[in-house]
Amino acid sequence: MTGTRPPGGALARRTLLKAGAGGLSLAALADLAACGKDGGSSPKSLKMLYFGEQAAATQLQNRLQPQIAELDASIKFEISAINGTDWNDFLAKVLTQIAAGTPPDIISVATEGLQLMASKELAVPLDDYVTKDLDALKEYFADIHPALVESMMYQGHLWELPDSFNAGNMFYSTGLFQRAGVVPPSENWTLDDFEAAATKIAKFQGVNAFGWVVRLWGSWTSFMYANNANLLEEGKYDGGDWLWSKAYAGDAAAAGRKGGWKWGAPTANSEATVEALNYMIELTKKGLSPSPDVGGGGTLQGLFASNRIGMSIGGGFWAGGLTNAGMKNGSFDVTMFPKWKSQRHLFGAGGYAIFKSSKKKDLAWEVLKLLVKPETFDLVFPGNVTTPGRKSLVTAARYAKTGPKHWSVFYDTLTKHPDTAPIPAPPYYNALATALNQRTTEAISSGNAKAALDGLQSDLEKAAGAG
Amino acid sequence: MTAVTAEVRRTAVKPRSHPSSHGETRFGFAMIGLSVLFVAVFTAIPIVASLGLSFFSWDVISSPEFVGLENYRRLFTDGPVLKSFGVTLGMALAIVVLQLTVGLGLAVLVNQRRLIWVRTVFRTAFYLPLLASTAAVSIFMGYLFDYKFGVVNYYLGLLGIPNVPWLTNGFAAASTIVLIAVWQQAGFTFVLFVAALMSVPTDVLEASQIDGAGPLRTLLRIKIPLISPTILFAAVVALINAMQLFDQPYIMTKGGPGSATTTVTIAMYQKGFQNLQFGYGSAIAIVLLAAILVITGLQFLAARKLVFYQ
Repeated sequence: MTGTRPPGGALARRTLLKAGAGGLSLAALADLAACGKDGGSSPKSLKMLYFGEQAAATQLQNRLQPQIAELDASIKFEISAINGTDWNDFLAKVLTQIAAGTPPDIISVATEGLQLMASKELAVPLDDYVTKDLDALKEYFADIHPALVESMMYQGHLWELPDSFNAGNMFYSTGLFQRAGVVPPSENWTLDDFEAAATKIAKFQGVNAFGWVVRLWGSWTSFMYANNANLLEEGKYDGGDWLWSKAYAGDAAAAGRKGGWKWGAPTANSEATVEALNYMIELTKKGLSPSPDVGGGGTLQGLFASNRIGMSIGGGFWAGGLTNAGMKNGSFDVTMFPKWKSQRHLFGAGGYAIFKSSKKKDLAWEVLKLLVKPETFDLVFPGNVTTPGRKSLVTAARYAKTGPKHWSVFYDTLTKHPDTAPIPAPPYYNALATALNQRTTEAISSGNAKAALDGLQSDLEKAAGAG
Repeated sequence: MTAVTAEVRRTAVKPRSHPSSHGETRFGFAMIGLSVLFVAVFTAIPIVASLGLSFFSWDVISSPEFVGLENYRRLFTDGPVLKSFGVTLGMALAIVVLQLTVGLGLAVLVNQRRLIWVRTVFRTAFYLPLLASTAAVSIFMGYLFDYKFGVVNYYLGLLGIPNVPWLTNGFAAASTIVLIAVWQQAGFTFVLFVAALMSVPTDVLEASQIDGAGPLRTLLRIKIPLISPTILFAAVVALINAMQLFDQPYIMTKGGPGSATTTVTIAMYQKGFQNLQFGYGSAIAIVLLAAILVITGLQFLAARKLVFYQ
């Protein structure tokens, strides 16, 4: 019977099944194709995406709901948490949500995702809102370092209101330093001082002098910045005067600020970049640093908290992280990243943007202003899990319970080192992060920084071209 | 026409028109329909959607753009992605060979135990790793095999053995992941082989003993040929699983060092979800599916000569 026409009943069923499957497939494809065009939250809710645990997000949602109700009593504020080991994971999941047709109204995005979001016009520029409410926001801008604001600009527009940041400072174990007879480092210490301290600490069995993880923020990239190098050519977009001339008039720290960082051609295999990665390989060979893990940093904090690591790159978020890991106030401290060719630091900032697909943009703007109020900061970030973007919130009282003793280093990084810059996160950040992770582990494993960074250069050129 | 013939005709026709028979048919179709729906929603439609998507350039955010076979052309000239196919094939072959060998070896040993409770205890013990979450096992193993702080290197150190770069050297990382996958999956083949060995007819085994065959000869000439259909089934399932290896390398090494443990599924995830090239990621998925189909087909071809059906 093969090949012959089956009885009519069977044909009808098969035809129906085929048509059904085909129709469903087309519908699925059509749905996929339509993603990102519409969606958003329901008319009676305002949805925000948050990087973290859902339990914490729900708590935050409940804490903020009364204030949201004052803005619009009929609106239910919903915060959805997205888990991930790093921002690369977070952004991948955010984009999956967008693909699923459920984009948020407000999104909390760090430097890593800002240009990706802005270049794809997922968010709306805040220029008009800021201009309209500039008088009310003058107090906010006066309290926020212009470097943070500039890092939230892209092509002359402001895309997020920053509320937090973390610069790559150096945390150290006071106990291990004391045991090794090393004097606590001063703020202007050098790379030689760092290595001398590391050598003394490394003599302890089971202890690594310096621990780090493979990622863009606060990895070997901190050494790269201190070596006056970068993965990409640095530049700035024109524009931004609409903000600098009004919100920061007369502020010396705002001089020379423009319309956001413009990341140009890859320079991943430049001499200074190779030198920085080679330095890390040498640290590993000398037994001063273990082979690093990729992404996250939770394990690193755990090892640091159990006194198995003497030094590591951390920002203000380490104060809360180490306390949560069981470290007592005084058992760790922080200082500036050591000086190499310069003492330039890197930083990443966090803030809030309004999604383009939101149907409640005006309300979302009001919520953004609420989120960057001083009294909201500790509702959003309880327990020093990041550094406040507002200088007025970086106080002795804030760090009295957790430490570190030299907490002022966090904000001083911006004020005392004006060359401090954001991490290089272009619109193709995800591809950059993936390639950086792979090539860094390749370099550490093979011991050949130049070959690995030649590969990274090629990867970034392709990614920049595709982007 | 006799009365008997007439009765036969009546009974032959009767079920077609009986109302309860119609109900049974409808129930049957409903049950089959559920299975069809399940397979359609969770398997067929995603495959068709992936196939469709593989002809588009799509970053989730912008509208998809039809690019024809461009994603496939790119795939066959993309060195790192092609390398991931090589890495996957190498690791998959190692996993399958070890998984079958370990599973069969353990099954033979356990099968020789005459006490049933001993078999039960071993079966449970060897099957347990399979029940653990692969993600949890991978995180745990990552700690165990950490170069500097891992428990494994700690105990090796007590024996005077220098630290082994389990996860930080390319070959060692791939080998460690293979061993962990085998440790977790061998219980599945073990249980299959125990059941197959128990079903080998005792009269055949007794006849071989009378003919003077020793344990090794009995295993190689009697038992293995008789359980060869089970070996084929285990090999096919193990290879299909191994070709989709993701959790262990992604969690333990993120595909590194370099790209030493970047399997096809990791490359697909990176291209699709991290680099926002969903069309290209889909093309990789389709080529992986085709590769698995081809390899499985080759296994069945080889089975024609190697598998013995009673």
